[in-house]
Amino acid sequence: MKPSAKRVEARGRELNLSVLLSITILAVCIVATVVNPRFIRITNLVNILQQISVLGIIACGVGMLLISGQIDISVGNQVSLMGIIMALIIQRGGEISPDAAHAWMIQWSIPFAVVVTFAVGTVLGALTGLVVIKSRAHSFIVTLALGSVYRGIALLISRGGSFTLYGRFETLGRTRIANFLPVSIIFLVFVVLVTLVLLKYTRYGRFLYSIGGNRKAAYVSGIKTTAVTMRAFITVGVLNALAALILISRVGTALAGTADAYSLDALAAIVVGGVAITGGKGNALSIFLGVLLIGIVGNALVVMNVNPHLRGIFIGVIIIGSVTFSGLSEQRSRM
Amino acid sequence: MVTGMALRAERIVKNYPGVQALKSVDFDLRRGEVHALVGQNGAGKSTLVEIIAGSVSYDSGDIHIGDQKHTYLDPSRSIELGIQTVHQENQLVEEITVAENIFLYDLPRTRYGFVNLRSCIQAADVLLQELGIDVEPGKKISSLSFVDKKLISIAKAFSRKARILILDEPTASLDEQGRNALFSLIRRYTSLGLSTIYISHHLSEIFEIADRVTVLKDGQRVSTKAIGETSLHTIVPEMIGRSSQSLYVRDKKGRQTLEQGSLLQIVDFHREGVVDHVSFSVRAGEVYGIAGLVGAGRTELAQLVFGVDRSDHGSLLLDGKDITAGSPFNAVDEGIGFLTEDRKDSGLVLIQPVYENITLVRFVKEIKKKVKSLLNLAKEQDDARTVVQQLDIRTPTVSQKVINLSGGNQQKVVLGKWLFADSEIIIFDEPTVGIDVGSKSEIYKLIEKLADDGKFIIIISSDNPELVSVCDTVGVMRFGRLVAELRGDQMTEEQIVKHSLGVSVIKEPEL
Ligand SMILES: Nc1ncnc2c1ncn2[C@@H]1O[C@H](COP(=O)(O)OP(=O)(O)OP(=O)(O)O)[C@@H](O)[C@H]1O
Ligand SMILES: [Mg+2]
Repeated sequence: MKPSAKRVEARGRELNLSVLLSITILAVCIVATVVNPRFIRITNLVNILQQISVLGIIACGVGMLLISGQIDISVGNQVSLMGIIMALIIQRGGEISPDAAHAWMIQWSIPFAVVVTFAVGTVLGALTGLVVIKSRAHSFIVTLALGSVYRGIALLISRGGSFTLYGRFETLGRTRIANFLPVSIIFLVFVVLVTLVLLKYTRYGRFLYSIGGNRKAAYVSGIKTTAVTMRAFITVGVLNALAALILISRVGTALAGTADAYSLDALAAIVVGGVAITGGKGNALSIFLGVLLIGIVGNALVVMNVNPHLRGIFIGVIIIGSVTFSGLSEQRSRM
Repeated sequence: MVTGMALRAERIVKNYPGVQALKSVDFDLRRGEVHALVGQNGAGKSTLVEIIAGSVSYDSGDIHIGDQKHTYLDPSRSIELGIQTVHQENQLVEEITVAENIFLYDLPRTRYGFVNLRSCIQAADVLLQELGIDVEPGKKISSLSFVDKKLISIAKAFSRKARILILDEPTASLDEQGRNALFSLIRRYTSLGLSTIYISHHLSEIFEIADRVTVLKDGQRVSTKAIGETSLHTIVPEMIGRSSQSLYVRDKKGRQTLEQGSLLQIVDFHREGVVDHVSFSVRAGEVYGIAGLVGAGRTELAQLVFGVDRSDHGSLLLDGKDITAGSPFNAVDEGIGFLTEDRKDSGLVLIQPVYENITLVRFVKEIKKKVKSLLNLAKEQDDARTVVQQLDIRTPTVSQKVINLSGGNQQKVVLGKWLFADSEIIIFDEPTVGIDVGSKSEIYKLIEKLADDGKFIIIISSDNPELVSVCDTVGVMRFGRLVAELRGDQMTEEQIVKHSLGVSVIKEPEL
């Protein structure tokens, strides 16, 4: 046990990290292209972006939360649960006999599902925030527990089965504008931009960093730390709802565990993107690059026809590389 | 009398990005001497001693300890070589006990290799009693007050038989008693051959305790002299590069002028066992000081008024209107500011840049005023630059992380944050701790200007001369109670000490 590190030598670390991430992304692209030129085709690149849109949206929420010093490892379970609820509503809508009297029900089941999903997202976020604040326990533990609860609820609702949308809700996940640009990419870009503005150019964003950097100093400066924390959790819930809509729309069916893996994938992307697990550090651009890197590696392995099971190993190596870099550029002044 | 060299550092160079902290500095320490190190904020004092303590690396130079030359030092090596350090910033491990912190480097073990907490606490108890420090060894560090943490750091340094003791501003926010106790400890150990490097911005202490004094300026050594061959009048210009200004004395406003201003009443604040029914009032434009020994309940009182801690009762009235704050955000909303004494714990977000720390409270206020516009980073940094200039904060840019600033410059950042937060009522808890003599008078002038603008200023300080020269009124606290209010001719250091200690009070002024 060492006394807490005193001073650190840091100079534009965020910038350096995003440069490093960009270089790495470029390198992966070059290697993949050399092995299989199809990689660099515009359709494949668009595919990659479409594939990472769900992860990117989730990561933006959790990234902001992590900057404020809290963590949520139940996001995947939240998305799965919302997917189930939404698919359930749409499926029921589709099962109604399509006579004139019921036409409106079929029509309205989709908007209804969307509204319900966002409502559930808000409630789940608020609930998580509330439990974290009231229990005064570490959010890692709280969300570990809540994730298990959400998974349980999803299993109860689905009875272990799945729901399908009968292709009735494809806009978010599959539709392409001008037959080229998937709608989900637009949502991803929008969410990333909003996150960027929020973190960099708003007072609320500044409060997130302050609370993550030194909660007590933020509190004494007059920041309503609990209210800000609550808002960060709710934001996570709402973005999870959007992610659930896009994901289920793309996949077409919902299972109880559909999205569970996103909990750790999102965390991996955020950490690769340089957000300190202790809070107070990170930015939207790097988070996006982290997500992109993970997406590209996954795709490149497939395109290069490498055993897809290697993906996990590569991602592990990338995480270690990234945090080592951050550690080196911000170590104690000796060494 | 022991003779010889305990330590010799030659041509030490240390560069940080954008800052040359030490430019080929020579320093030596004789056996059994107290060698003082003085200089402006950011001069390189802490850097030099941290290098000797092994916690900062150096770019070039030689270090001889005893008669051995060392090219590489780290904290545990330094400790093995008999060097003990009280760092400027608290470096204790917050989540374990006082006793474990004191013996961190060789914890007593049980037969099975586990930490033997009981014997650890016993040993700590013995040590603390011997040093006259009144702190429970079984308590967690995080539950201690700022000053108690400082005392524990000192106790830790004395827990091992050291050959070289490094004290980096050990007396910052200690009171008379604490300082005297420390000095007698130093004298006792020095007579046994211990050598001490002593850093302080209280220059009077230097003349009381040191045998030699070295002045550093901008990373270079200006002079090393025996204490008898120098004086305040030589040291201060060597430190700050200009002649020593006469001690700051404020033009005190007459009672009559003050009586016309608005009235802030602190009414019957109480928290069982800590603050005992304290009431007093401050006029707009008045600087009201609160004196007392450490532990007299001054910081606790401020925390109750600001809403950081819950009070059993107590209210704050501004011209009769109740503005009692139940929490810091209410307090900030009511126009109250509170500079806390522990900058690392509750004053600064150390990993954030200077400018973000300076502007934080302003953004909190803008949120309350429902300002919705996006932040203008360029303007924000310009504003911060103005503050940096006004307070003469030494930093390469306003984007430097606060953690990379020297201690005194960090303190100036907290001051900047509250001086420019535009609060109506400001409570300063030990505002000038760690700030050099050159900057102090500038800060007093800024505080005076706030008062002249009709703000209510409350200053808690253990630096009695400071209170006497800056305040219109000084209230003295003892055991949680406000025991005296001193004004005019009554307001002297002597009176303050007398009331703080509670000895031979001849005529107690009515409250
Ligand atoms: N980790 C760091 N990164 C960058 N600059 C640093 C770092 N540590 C110290 N400095 C710079 O080195 C210079 C010397 O700092 P140092 O802490 O030694 O000053 P000091 O004499 O102890 O001042 P004070 O009286 O304020 O404590 C300062 O300009 C400071 O900003
Ligand atoms: Mg220092």
